[in-house]
Amino acid sequence: MTELVGRVGELKLTYTKCDHQTIISHSYFTTPWKLLPPIYLDDTGAAYTLLVNPSGGLVGGDHLSIDMNVEQDAHVLISAPSANRVYRTEGKVSEQRVNITVGSGAVLEWFPEHTIPFAGSRFRQTLQATLAPGATLLLWDAVASGRIASGERWAFTDLENDIRITTASGSMLLERYVLDPSTDLERVGLAEEWNYVASLYVVNDSTPSEVWNELESKIATILDTRPGEVLGGVSAGPVPGLAVKILAQTAPDLTAMLDALWAVVREGLLNLSPVSLRKY
Amino acid sequence: MNTSVLLEGLRFIDTFFPSGGYAFSSGLEAAVQGGAVKTSDQLAGYIEDLLRGGMSRREALATKRANRAGATGQISVALAIDRTLEAAKLSRASRLASRQMGRQVIRVAADQIQGKPILSAYCDEVEAARAPGHLAITFGLTLGAAGWSQEDTAAAFLYQTAVGFVSAAMRLSPLGQHEGQRILGEWLPLIERISRDVDSDTAMSSWSPVQDIYAMRHGVLEWRLFRS
Repeated sequence: MTELVGRVGELKLTYTKCDHQTIISHSYFTTPWKLLPPIYLDDTGAAYTLLVNPSGGLVGGDHLSIDMNVEQDAHVLISAPSANRVYRTEGKVSEQRVNITVGSGAVLEWFPEHTIPFAGSRFRQTLQATLAPGATLLLWDAVASGRIASGERWAFTDLENDIRITTASGSMLLERYVLDPSTDLERVGLAEEWNYVASLYVVNDSTPSEVWNELESKIATILDTRPGEVLGGVSAGPVPGLAVKILAQTAPDLTAMLDALWAVVREGLLNLSPVSLRKY
Repeated sequence: MNTSVLLEGLRFIDTFFPSGGYAFSSGLEAAVQGGAVKTSDQLAGYIEDLLRGGMSRREALATKRANRAGATGQISVALAIDRTLEAAKLSRASRLASRQMGRQVIRVAADQIQGKPILSAYCDEVEAARAPGHLAITFGLTLGAAGWSQEDTAAAFLYQTAVGFVSAAMRLSPLGQHEGQRILGEWLPLIERISRDVDSDTAMSSWSPVQDIYAMRHGVLEWRLFRS
């Protein structure tokens, strides 16, 4: 007999450029995912979708998946209404798998809220993004040390995060870490002094190098605006674009940094103003 | 390992080998300037953390897998892990440093180690830009072809890396030679553990966000002794 091991929640979304607007042309979802109609925050036609999981997070044994296809020339913003909580488990892993394809000339801005791994939780995320020629991806991924206000820091059982971005030429970016604070080789180490760790990847294979150089310089300046509260670095990544790594002490520090970075990337790469997500 | 095998490998580990490694600090210069490394104890903790979290399942794992490719002549194994390592190194300066040093190793190995066609074949791949040629890969290939074990090769790679950090620290701070040797000695049990325990068949991973950020920050330093 097959053992019941939590929820298997699927969310499948296809975005299509239709006239001047991006619409959801196909959708499918199962519990716990809910789907709200896209919101249009400005006159660019970009579709803004909130990833809504009303249960507020993942329990042990959950297997949530997102399959997202952003078709040619579509423009999509993704966020979430609240942090992604991963609850304590007696043993089973909570798993989230994300599979993204971005078509030629399309733009995906992927800015979910950060993940909070509770004490005793086990979390595994895999995120794979495949980009067509001329596709643009802005991808943000952030993890908290735990429920900081409750004094829980780096108290999860284990956490695995696997992010892969592949471009049309076959070049790849891989960020993969496996943390198990109880072991010798997978302990948290020096990062224990911080409460949030985040990555921002900005990828497009047809952007001139001078645009990247200018953006890299602006990002480097922003990263130095909160000394002691935020430590960050930016570099040309192994795929065409920029890789940004951030450590932050508090959620407001992290959010302020995210807002500033997102704004400068939108302006420098997409020639667009910042958007207000109106979540709160 | 017999003496001739030992000696064949040793020259690739020795600081006399012209890899150009003296020009790179792998982010240590930025960490010193940023105030993260001020004392020899902080240096010891910073590098120990990097060896354990950052390099054990990235470079040490890659070195072991490349060693196996060198010993068995399977060039596809080396190519695959080289490309994965390229993908996993997010800092441009770190990628370029690793590739430059790796190219020097494979050029000498292909030219001077006889009867191991995989070395010249891999050198051709690197020269034609079909392989990144990261140091961990070419070092592992070379020592594997020379007859070293996976574990000894990984230990030698980590030891060489550790020596490079101590050497860089001596130029960046008042660290003396005696103190440098003390720190190096303290890292040896960790290097031994990593070399033994890392399973080369597991997927590559890396966790050293503090050091990764300082490696990225090297490019914006106002003055620099090192190229990374």
